[in-house]
Amino acid sequence: MRKDPRYKSGLISSLSPFGYNVERWSYTLHRVTGVVLIGYLMAHIFETFELSVGSAAWNSTMATLHSLGPLELVGLWIVAGSALYHGANGIRLILNEMFGKLMGKPILPVYPYSPTSLGRNQRIVVWTITGVVLVLWVWAGLYLLAGLGVV
Amino acid sequence: MKESWGMILTYITAMVLIFVLTFHFLLQGPLAGKSFEDTLTFGYATGNLVSFEVIFGLLLYAAILHGLNGVRIIALEWFHPQKKTWLLNLIVVGLMAFFLALGSYTLLAVG
Repeated sequence: MRKDPRYKSGLISSLSPFGYNVERWSYTLHRVTGVVLIGYLMAHIFETFELSVGSAAWNSTMATLHSLGPLELVGLWIVAGSALYHGANGIRLILNEMFGKLMGKPILPVYPYSPTSLGRNQRIVVWTITGVVLVLWVWAGLYLLAGLGVV
Repeated sequence: MKESWGMILTYITAMVLIFVLTFHFLLQGPLAGKSFEDTLTFGYATGNLVSFEVIFGLLLYAAILHGLNGVRIIALEWFHPQKKTWLLNLIVVGLMAFFLALGSYTLLAVG
């Protein structure tokens, strides 16, 4: 049986945010950062397990990770950014979905359609989250990559 | 609110994670008063696990339940495995059990 050509692009199309509004970008980023985080979490549990084996095993694991050079810290920086975005956007999603906040009131759909869920308050929160996360991510980068920010 | 149990679990674990993960970041971050490199020593890492065993246990359980349930939701959204949902659930529960056992063992052995 031939596939319906409308679904030809499959998974990529289902994730692509291009041509959509900022909520779609949040949707895509939330899923991408979520997958990054669960991948890191599983590796992190294996890594932390070495603590129970002993100091030699832990030091050997750390030496292996350090042998990656800057890739190790860049990887951690990406994980930190993913956690910051996923957490901050997650708070917005809890407000939206669990408490029904920031969503606007439902209206009859009239052309040209505009999502009531993307009202002024929602936009303010989305862009505030983006700004705060970017600032914290730069700071995390300075701390990890340049050794700055130590208090 | 009429959410499924899966979504309620996702929301509750998300709220727990916001607090315990922030605490974990602060311990590994600049508020520890150390460089990142210094927080990776065996003594500092085991010391944290011993001192904050309950918090790290909470972090482990919340992160695994939230993360793997999230993967299950993404898989359901993308693949619509109507006939194989039970298989997907079985794999996810199996992975949860494995990582929770491994993490719990680490916490108990070090603590």
